[in-house]
Amino acid sequence: MSLRTPKLRLGLLLLLTPMLLWLLLLIILPHVNMAIISLSERVSAGEYAFSLSNYAEFFTESLYWNTFLRTATMSILVTFLTLIIAFPVSYYIAKMLRGRTKGLVFALCLIPFWVSELVRTYGWMILLRETGVVSSSLQWLGLTDGPIEFLYNDAAIIVGLVYTSMLFMVVPLTTTLDSLDDSYIEAGYDLGGNGFTVMREVVIPHAMPGIVSGCIVVFMLTLGNYLTPALLGGKDSLWFTEQIFTQFITRFNWEQGSAFGILLLFLSSFIVWLGLKLSRQSFTRVMS
Amino acid sequence: MTNSSSIITDVNAHPTQDSSAGPDTYDLECRNILKTFDGGFTAVDNVSFQIPKGSFFSILGPSGCGKTTLLRMLAGFEKPTSGDIFIKGQSVTNTPPNKRPVNMVFQHLALFPTMTVAENIAYGLRQRKVAKHEIGDRVKGVLQRVGLPDSGNKNIAQLSGGQKQRIAIARCLVLNPDVLLLDEPLGALDLKLREHMKIELKQLQEEFGTTFVYITHDQSEALVMSDQVAVMNHGAFVQQGTPHDLYYHPKDAFVAGFVGESNRWMGRISSQSANGLEITTDSGLGLHGVSGENQSFNNGDKVEIFVRPEAISLVRGQGDSNNSNQLACHVVNVLFDGAKSQILVKDPQSNGEVTVSMPQTADFENLRKGELLSLSWTTEQTRCYRVEG
Repeated sequence: MSLRTPKLRLGLLLLLTPMLLWLLLLIILPHVNMAIISLSERVSAGEYAFSLSNYAEFFTESLYWNTFLRTATMSILVTFLTLIIAFPVSYYIAKMLRGRTKGLVFALCLIPFWVSELVRTYGWMILLRETGVVSSSLQWLGLTDGPIEFLYNDAAIIVGLVYTSMLFMVVPLTTTLDSLDDSYIEAGYDLGGNGFTVMREVVIPHAMPGIVSGCIVVFMLTLGNYLTPALLGGKDSLWFTEQIFTQFITRFNWEQGSAFGILLLFLSSFIVWLGLKLSRQSFTRVMS
Repeated sequence: MTNSSSIITDVNAHPTQDSSAGPDTYDLECRNILKTFDGGFTAVDNVSFQIPKGSFFSILGPSGCGKTTLLRMLAGFEKPTSGDIFIKGQSVTNTPPNKRPVNMVFQHLALFPTMTVAENIAYGLRQRKVAKHEIGDRVKGVLQRVGLPDSGNKNIAQLSGGQKQRIAIARCLVLNPDVLLLDEPLGALDLKLREHMKIELKQLQEEFGTTFVYITHDQSEALVMSDQVAVMNHGAFVQQGTPHDLYYHPKDAFVAGFVGESNRWMGRISSQSANGLEITTDSGLGLHGVSGENQSFNNGDKVEIFVRPEAISLVRGQGDSNNSNQLACHVVNVLFDGAKSQILVKDPQSNGEVTVSMPQTADFENLRKGELLSLSWTTEQTRCYRVEG
């Protein structure tokens, strides 16, 4: 055993190298760099000093933390709505369908994601804009006198984000529900449970790891989404990623932008941690 | 064992407490249950039976015979195409599974892994809105009765196979069902534990006094535990009776071959007399036998002949006996299995193999391959059954 250990170590190291390089070069280095930039302040041209003022700015300027709160709340709402819609779909795919139809319906959920997010979002815009399909249909049916603008409000953002997130909830949910043997559900009924109690006491506890991992992925993707809120929400969408974009690109204030980036990382991690605590799940179990 | 087909004529009727008993003495009654699936496949074909209160009833059949479908209809997971199911005289044919006074122990037990042992047992009581303190008492009580009083707080994964078995049964029995259905729950256990659980299941059934309906493909499980066994094949009940009945008076070739071990020959009736039948096997062996239950033959009829391994007497070397059937064979192999050891012999005339139980006497301890053995057995122990088609 002791003879083989160094060899094993080397093998493991070689296997992990691409992963470690990826983590180091693309995730850790930029973040360290961003952290350093966020902690500096431009004193004069080309001269920088250590400062916490970029972070102070976030907490003192109400627009910034209001935007963050709004983004976080809406992301939680989107996560919740996605779960509510995706659960019955996944349950249907995993437990009601058999054989070929099962694969087919699962593929139907997957197919929209072969198209780029940009194109899908434009699809929503074609439907929802003032001269779009929904507005024209309502006019044609005589339900409304003039054209209606469905775009550029919070509802449009949420619809777009839920749609974008769907797959990332359906996949983990279908997988966990698939692993639930039918006999558990039957036993739940056999012992006197009804549809509601079997769902609450048998199906959902079993699916909990899938639910939580789906929620984490959807929440993180939604919080960090830029395209959908910008296109469907318009200039008033006030999504936190847009603030970061503005700081970096429009105002060329890299220090402030970096501080926002770091804050987004920590605040979203905190919310995920809170979610795990509240649902009594451990991160390693959820991700396995 | 003197028997002939005339003594037992009615083995397929309900053998115990029949005509005088009212309908409510039966915990479970099925009338003409038929189940066909899409595509015209008939899984259960016109099955009727009655199970008296407090008995252990087994349905024995090979896999694919429809026994699982039948059990699922009793539990309410499948709806019969036609026919009626009664529990304690009440029709439950249209009652959903969660409203039936029937509980089921699943093949893989289906204990909820997300709950502790106590929570698993309490699940059914909670669904019935039993008061909290009463739930605690009843869970404790049933754990005591199945002999696992300290397991309440354990997780399911911490239990051994036999303990899981007992918890699965406790989870059902705590609800005092009229009938407990068991779907081959011993199948997943290793041999030693299975032997032990057979006895334990029987004891639990006697202690609780609940009617058990047990389905299995293992004839030994059915014979050891049951008061009544129904043998099922191709969706229909072939024979119903006590284990003793099935073993000694099988009604047809299928039951004779399926219940217990048998040596088989195919042959034709050559003559009939008051003393029995003369049969010539396809391999040219002449045997003396009797007809099986409810069978009558004409000369020349094709029959299947069954002889139990333990019915054959052995003498080493050349030997004579009074038995009507005699055969000199060479030992091919000794299948040593302690008290259940068997000897595989080859009959030189027909080249067919015959299995014989090894007598548990010192005489046969040093039996060698190739040795000459004289086999003999009586006319009564040679049963003939008609071959269909």
